[in-house]
Amino acid sequence: MSLLSKVKEALVCLRAGRVTLPYPAAPRPVAGNFRGRPIFDAAKCIGCGGCAANCPAREILIHDVCQEIRVLRYVGRRCTYCGRCADVCPEKAITMSTDFETATDAIGDIGQTIELFMSTCQRCGRCFKEPSPLERLKQKGYRFDDLAHDRWVFGSRAYLDTERAVDDIRIEMD
Amino acid sequence: MSIAMAERAKLEALRARFGAAIRRADLPGNGRMFVTVDPAAIREICRHVFREMGARYVISIGADDRPFSGEFLVAHNFAFDGDGVLCGLLAHLPGDRPALDSISDVVPAANWAEREFRDLVGIEPMGHRYPKRLVLPDGWPEGVHPLRKDVSWDDVPKDFDEDLEFKFDEAPDGCVVVPFGPFHPTLDEPAHFRLYVEGEMVRGCEYRGFMAHRGIEKLAESVLSYNDIPMMAERICGICGCVHSVAYVQAVEDAAGVRVPERAEYIRTIMLEMERLHSHLLWVGLACHIVGFDTLFMQSFRIREPIMWMAERMTGNRKTYALCLVGGVRWDIAPETGAALRGVLDTLEKEWRGVVDAVTGDRNIQARTRGVGVAGPDLVKDVGLVGPVARASGVAIDCRRDHPYAAYGRVAFEVITERGGDVWSRIVVRMKEVFESIGIIRQCLDKMSPGPIQARVDDELPVGRMGLSSVEAPRGEAHHFLVTGEGNRPRRWRVRAPTYQNLQGVPAMIRDQQLADMTIALGSIDPCFSCTDRMETVDVRSGLRRTWTQEDLVRLLKKGGA
Repeated sequence: MSLLSKVKEALVCLRAGRVTLPYPAAPRPVAGNFRGRPIFDAAKCIGCGGCAANCPAREILIHDVCQEIRVLRYVGRRCTYCGRCADVCPEKAITMSTDFETATDAIGDIGQTIELFMSTCQRCGRCFKEPSPLERLKQKGYRFDDLAHDRWVFGSRAYLDTERAVDDIRIEMD
Repeated sequence: MSIAMAERAKLEALRARFGAAIRRADLPGNGRMFVTVDPAAIREICRHVFREMGARYVISIGADDRPFSGEFLVAHNFAFDGDGVLCGLLAHLPGDRPALDSISDVVPAANWAEREFRDLVGIEPMGHRYPKRLVLPDGWPEGVHPLRKDVSWDDVPKDFDEDLEFKFDEAPDGCVVVPFGPFHPTLDEPAHFRLYVEGEMVRGCEYRGFMAHRGIEKLAESVLSYNDIPMMAERICGICGCVHSVAYVQAVEDAAGVRVPERAEYIRTIMLEMERLHSHLLWVGLACHIVGFDTLFMQSFRIREPIMWMAERMTGNRKTYALCLVGGVRWDIAPETGAALRGVLDTLEKEWRGVVDAVTGDRNIQARTRGVGVAGPDLVKDVGLVGPVARASGVAIDCRRDHPYAAYGRVAFEVITERGGDVWSRIVVRMKEVFESIGIIRQCLDKMSPGPIQARVDDELPVGRMGLSSVEAPRGEAHHFLVTGEGNRPRRWRVRAPTYQNLQGVPAMIRDQQLADMTIALGSIDPCFSCTDRMETVDVRSGLRRTWTQEDLVRLLKKGGA
């Protein structure tokens, strides 16, 4: 009985043959809808901040330098490649690439920083149309994430200030 | 008897027995009961529900509700599996004196949960028989309770002594202590067992875990928003991530009354079963690996791999699917993907049948696993064991059948049980469940019709509503409790992973067994420490005697990095 099962087990192995893939010597293509490292298209981005507000890992930072210039930085350290940023982007400026070989010893290799010229909309300032109330912007107005330390600051203001906003968590949440 | 009638009958029975101690009851009519009771009577009511009414203990939750009602809240959740009812027994405690009677002497399964809310919320379970710290490390100062609302998510108390070593109990007379973990070849994640060993026999053990806390619940309650949390919930566990993601969104949908489109329910069911397939194949392989049978370990993993590729094709990732949002799913299944999935399932079924056929006759593996790590039905009841561990002891509980969610109410499948209660029975249960999962996916593919996959959510979610959700993970029931809150995020979210209960059964399972069987006995519950430890904001490595200090290691790591 047990000997028979040993023979059967041996057959399972023999029938399988060799299955190890030659990766990484040969490339291994991924499925078409694979979610790899997100790529931000500076030409399409309008700087609405919807991606930053809906990033579960809080890895997209926004810093308003002045009325006209907004810096958007994708840091990418803790990014889980969930693709929510690409989902909510109203301009489809974010693509989930098929790039999964992201191991690096310099984190800046993955990150992306975009400087955006913001032409102010007279009606609302920054436009983000949320898909549902669950995605609404929790931080409206100007944002001052800490770009020097790649740190999200839990706050935004209705006005631009010369003072540093870092550590200022008495914020104007709506 | 319909579920609504069953709920009403339970409530009437409680009212008849306890009268005015039952202060308020909410029966939404969907298999959920919320009964507010007099805190002074909580112990007796829980005993009655657990022992006389035959309920299964699920979890206890402590919550700081002071900013909203000025009170603390404790919920003891029970399940009436035969009637499809999940019941929360709620007690409101005064904000200045959060204490209530411990129920752990009448409901032993509540041991950990009560110690946890004592640590994290500061609610005192009076009369607890072993009120030692569970979650917080010994160096954490008294009186700081991280899940209280007045503690910020990023607070670390100044007098926190990160390097203080654990204070362990004395070993019984005549026993030698054998440390097992935090790092051990058969443990994938850190947990520490101090085994009391007499000769070759294990006589008892002390467990110290919660070394991989990540503070997920606190983050959800203070930083994330409703639709961020599914992606974070998925990271509670690397194996059954989709389970936690589904359980969370279902808890929100249950609380807020969001109706999910039918197609989305089918897709959730398919992905949950995909996850069960890969998890069962992985675990059977690992169990064989632990007992030294690497042939089957390799073959299980080979057979499993096409499932992972299929999952990648369906959701864009082989493991973390990022599938769920509140009210639906993100990825649809195209007809050609469905056809490809059927092909993968056909191959899997054929190959797995060959393996099962070979292994069931293998006397070597049976000699190593029969009579090892035995959990009888009484232990299942007392400690609240769930999943394959319970089913291997002949206790036929399965949330998919008992509390149907997603599309499980519309498919037919069998709940596999065995009688042995030992490791071998668990292997048999999980090997057979693979075929049931294949059947469920096929039925879903047959039955699902085109339609929307995401419900419209037009209004902000109502505040202060409670939701319960039980999802059958490959290892057992994952239970989520949620209170909706302000600011687009929950007020309280409590995750009870299956390992949380199953791990409490390990000391009884290994008692009077050979030391060499410890590894497979522990491995047989498929312990997932990252699930169990999902909570705190502290990283603790202080239980180790080491040559390298933590600072040394950190310095070493930083030198290697950028």
